[in-house]
Amino acid sequence: MSLSQSPLDGLNLESLNDQDKAEIRQFLNKQQQRSQIQAQTHQLTQVCWTKCVPGAVKSGKLDKTEETCLANCVNRFMDLNLLTVKHLQNMRSN
Amino acid sequence: MDSKAVKDAVFQQVVAESNLANARVLIEKIQENCFEKCITKPGGSISSGEQSCATACMEKYMNAWNHVNSAYITRARQEGAGTQ
Repeated sequence: MSLSQSPLDGLNLESLNDQDKAEIRQFLNKQQQRSQIQAQTHQLTQVCWTKCVPGAVKSGKLDKTEETCLANCVNRFMDLNLLTVKHLQNMRSN
Repeated sequence: MDSKAVKDAVFQQVVAESNLANARVLIEKIQENCFEKCITKPGGSISSGEQSCATACMEKYMNAWNHVNSAYITRARQEGAGTQ
């Protein structure tokens, strides 16, 4: 998506008062956080889909086993994430 | 245009583009994963079995996405904002 064709082009940003500028900053931070969570969710869903839904798809709904597996998968992935960071820190201090 | 109108336009545009970007990635992921699952041996045309597999797979992938999203958010909250 090219920014040069954004519908915001016609907007006069000069007319923003300080309070609205601050609100925009706050809003953008929030949106960025939201985008990061979504990006991480895409990655995790990919990883955990492969692990937790290995066979043929019988139904559009998740069964209990799959739901549990997905939640565990997310949590173990995060555990490993922390463990990796810790391990790297140990390597650096040794 | 006054300040509020400009601000609202910025908000609206950012949300719209962000939602579009998220939907694009989701569609791409669904396409890849459900193709892998449902079109195991590409034939001369799509079979009804492949079609119903694909429909179920799409729904299932989106359910999985939502489930993973809430599990991730729960975990991230537990970790606190400091650890990423």
